[in-house]
Amino acid sequence: MSVSAETSSPAALAVAPQASPRKQERLKRGLRKLVRSKTGLIGAVLLLLIVGVALFAPWIAPHSPGKTNVSVKLLPPMWMSEGTAMYPLGTDNLGRDLLSRLVYGSRVSLIVGLCSVALSGLIGLVLGLLSGFYGGWIDHLIMRVVDAFLAIPTILFMLLIMSILGPGLGTLIFVIGITGWVSYARMVRSEVLSIRERDYVRSSRAVGARNLRILFVHILPNVFSSFIVISTLNVAGVIISEASLSFMGLGIQPPDVSWGGMLSEGRQYLATSWWVATFPGIAITITVLAIIFLGDWLRDTLDPKLK
Amino acid sequence: MGKYIYRTVLQIVPVLFIISLIVFILVHVTGDPVNLMLPDTATPEEREILTAALGLDQPLYIQYGLYMKNLLSGDFGTSFRYNESALPIVLERLPASFELAGAAMLIAVVLAVPLGILSAVKRNSLLDLILSSISVLGKAMPNFWVGIMLILLFSVSLGMLPVSGRGTLQHLVLPAITLGTGVSVEMMRLIRSSMLEILGQDYIRTARSKGLWETVVINKHALRNALIPVVTITALQLTNLVSGALVTETVFAWPGMGQLLVQAVYTHDMAIVQAAVFVIALMVIFVNLASDIVYGLLDPRIKYR
Amino acid sequence: MKFFIKANAVVLILTLILAGCGGKEAGSGAAPGGSNSTNGEPAGEKTLTIAQGNDIMGFDIHNHSNTPTEAVHINLFEYLVKKDKDMNRVPGLALSWEKLDDLTWRFQLRDDVKFHNGDPFTSADVKYTLDRVRADKTLVDNSAYKLIESVNIIDDHTVDIVTSVPDPILLNRLSRLGSGVLPSKYIEENGFDYFLKNPIGTGPYKFSNWIRDDRIELVKNSDYYGDEPKWDKLVFRAIPEDSTRVAEVLTGNVDIAMNIPPEDMERIESNDTTHTIQFASQRVMNLIVRHTEGRVTADPKVREAIDLAIDKQALVDGIVEGAGVVTRTGVGPGNFGAQPDLYEAALYDPEKAKQLLAEAGYPDGLTLTLSSPTGRYMKDKDIAQAIAANLEEVGIKVNLEILEWSKFSEKNKSNSFDELYLFGNGNSMFDAYLPLSNNSAQNVVGSIDYNNPRVEELLSLAEKNLNEPEREQQLQEVQNILAEDRPRIYLFQTKSNYGVNDRIEYQPRLDEMFIADEILLK
Repeated sequence: MSVSAETSSPAALAVAPQASPRKQERLKRGLRKLVRSKTGLIGAVLLLLIVGVALFAPWIAPHSPGKTNVSVKLLPPMWMSEGTAMYPLGTDNLGRDLLSRLVYGSRVSLIVGLCSVALSGLIGLVLGLLSGFYGGWIDHLIMRVVDAFLAIPTILFMLLIMSILGPGLGTLIFVIGITGWVSYARMVRSEVLSIRERDYVRSSRAVGARNLRILFVHILPNVFSSFIVISTLNVAGVIISEASLSFMGLGIQPPDVSWGGMLSEGRQYLATSWWVATFPGIAITITVLAIIFLGDWLRDTLDPKLK
Repeated sequence: MGKYIYRTVLQIVPVLFIISLIVFILVHVTGDPVNLMLPDTATPEEREILTAALGLDQPLYIQYGLYMKNLLSGDFGTSFRYNESALPIVLERLPASFELAGAAMLIAVVLAVPLGILSAVKRNSLLDLILSSISVLGKAMPNFWVGIMLILLFSVSLGMLPVSGRGTLQHLVLPAITLGTGVSVEMMRLIRSSMLEILGQDYIRTARSKGLWETVVINKHALRNALIPVVTITALQLTNLVSGALVTETVFAWPGMGQLLVQAVYTHDMAIVQAAVFVIALMVIFVNLASDIVYGLLDPRIKYR
Repeated sequence: MKFFIKANAVVLILTLILAGCGGKEAGSGAAPGGSNSTNGEPAGEKTLTIAQGNDIMGFDIHNHSNTPTEAVHINLFEYLVKKDKDMNRVPGLALSWEKLDDLTWRFQLRDDVKFHNGDPFTSADVKYTLDRVRADKTLVDNSAYKLIESVNIIDDHTVDIVTSVPDPILLNRLSRLGSGVLPSKYIEENGFDYFLKNPIGTGPYKFSNWIRDDRIELVKNSDYYGDEPKWDKLVFRAIPEDSTRVAEVLTGNVDIAMNIPPEDMERIESNDTTHTIQFASQRVMNLIVRHTEGRVTADPKVREAIDLAIDKQALVDGIVEGAGVVTRTGVGPGNFGAQPDLYEAALYDPEKAKQLLAEAGYPDGLTLTLSSPTGRYMKDKDIAQAIAANLEEVGIKVNLEILEWSKFSEKNKSNSFDELYLFGNGNSMFDAYLPLSNNSAQNVVGSIDYNNPRVEELLSLAEKNLNEPEREQQLQEVQNILAEDRPRIYLFQTKSNYGVNDRIEYQPRLDEMFIADEILLK
């Protein structure tokens, strides 16, 4: 447990101290690498596309995502013999347009992903800073809390809290927020520890710089890259966990549309109407693929050890 | 080494205490189980009697004191659903869960280790891209989806394997594949990264520059070192395995701890929930501790403070 | 590269082994008929395998209110009075009964019955059983038995049951879950916890094995006093995931599977070795409507508009695919006091609904909240969404609140729902009084606050009335009033979907019990 910080356990792998903050130079190099790295480029383009869809959902979606019409239920996609261009990807068991639901579902996926990462990032940052700066019993306490959280699978937390508070968008963000901070806290702490020992921090201490200044000038810019890498993986994880929660009846509920919820409901129709579950499955796969490709590229670019 | 173990074990005590606090908070802010247990026609009086019988009318700090006292004697309370002591019910599920988890882990390791290494060695090749894509695909497919597809294919269409339940070796195949592939994709990515790190290290470069055959470099130098983090990576997958088991056991009607927990959450059966969470947390802690120790034994470079 | 070759060889070998094992299973697994194929039983043993969605709650028959559990227990424990296939009351452990006065009933018990451990069944067992459930208020089923005042042993095979008030439905109480007769001597000697682990009853099947969340196995009781039990072994499996349960019946591994989702009925029907049965259940889906002052639904016109806006037949046809019968009452046929005029009837007139809303002072529509559980009743969440769509069409904006069952149930019992919530009410008593009394003022104060003095009067009369024709009229009048007042807007009586192997001859029962000896091998 305590050795894992020193050994190259995966949590430590993502933590990459970055010393030279020559941003301009780094950005250019990064972009050049992005174009050269095919997967990174694919990821970036796909993700931009998804963000675009989420932003312009009302203009893209041909129907309202919640509009039910039982008389057209379970229509196949338009390229199949019974399909119609009215419903390009077909309809679900309540006659709702699958394409429109997918389009609106992208919003929920992104909102949950971004908000929960922001929340857990914030908690992790604060606790990691406290732990790293003050050390002593505060550090010990926070690290033991981290160990405790690591010992309980996140999905269990989600399951319990969703069943207590009632499933919903806000609850989901809250749960992921208060369980996901652990990896950020660890990362920030080890960053603080390594930076604290470096000469320039020592010298700025010596000239009387405040802790807050050290935080903004030296620490935040340095943890930023690791933060991004961990976050991309977390966003992907959140989208998938939501699907599992939906399976257990505790995911995001109507009228909110989530891909996980669509996939989970569609499982009833796998043998009879394949399209209901297949399209949300493809949407999740593409998004996760894009995020992970992008995350890999970010890690490769930002982490000097892996050049 | 002995001192290190001693100190780590000492650290486990506060961790367990914090876990007990988390579990208490989670479980005792849950909705009123009395409402779930009584029929709609129950009178307020009947409700009160049951509340008192379950000790739910005491103030929270007294409930906590009682909870800790019982916890220390291994008593997690009485399951509302089964009306029996909770811990034995949880422990009774361990063999089924271990059977499934063990088989799944075997499949995961057998898939992830060679493919992860291959992916790292052939980094940025077409093969790497394909393997990465497959692993993302695997990650993006939730367990329930994989499980149902496997049932449809191997049981319903081909009639090769039984659908669900626990019994013979054949019953184990589909759930173990479902759970194992889910875990293996994560493992594969981690092994790829740790292998990449090793391949980038100086002694490998030196070996390469000496003109050694690539195979020799990989087999003799990189592999041996790459296998060490595999121990840690495998241990870290335990929480993933538990998460996957919640869903997989439900799909395959597998009578393990995962299904027990899901059902307990549905019925707000607090005693079972806290006993199960505790047992899981203990297992995670001890497996990680064991992996740390094994790691230390395998890699002489690690020095324990 | 050696490493990879080795690793891949391992994978290959594993795959082959698994495929090999599978191959052997294929023959028996895919082909039902003859003897059942579940893991290697002796040839010729007749095993009946039934899959339900939930595991049983345990063996404390007094401490649950769970129909799937009773459906298993009924093969193990027996009632004084039984219900035949048509829900007529017939002798069970009691051969005959008579009313001595308004409060006292005398039961003549069978003298040839033995518990599974050989102990004879006597009046003491009846007294023990009923005393336990009537006196212990912590038991879930206590409320259904608390008006039993005392149980008096007259001789070894005669008991008197005395009620505190005249009880027209005592026989109904004695033919349902809480009244299975327990072995008093066995429990006194070994303790109740021992009984829970090693339950015995008087039924045609004996307890053999229970693996929680997996299966419960019962075996034939060769010493049964009645006709010889038809099966050697009964297996009740708990399979929570619908698609898995469907796959099990399709592959012939279970003989009967309950709660088949509507969309899978066709697959099971068209499969060569299986068929489906749809049979009425006691459950009636309804919207509970808040009458509380200050809610929009306090206005009877708004309530009527909501009723008229919902196309119930479309819910039955479109959402549950025929697994229902529209109704305007919560009491279906087969229950004492049913009002046939309100059954197979439904109101639907969106134009008039709009007009009523305008009259009520909402020409531009209104907003209300509709809550629904998810995963509890067949297609519950979908029904709620379809109702919301119906209501929006007449200008009622709906905030949909979908909750997982434990949360829903908790909100229900803490009375914290808003205007409308979706519910499915069962009825194990087979009498109109129970479902109707759910609407009586004392039961809904604080929740929907419905209160009609005439309903109160009729219900309190019917509760104690021993004059059957008069009581029936009172119960029917209550239903007529409820249909106008709308404390609940009834949607449809549900039908249960069963998937059945062709080797089985099975006719479901209205009470959803699986009485093994009514299920035959073709």
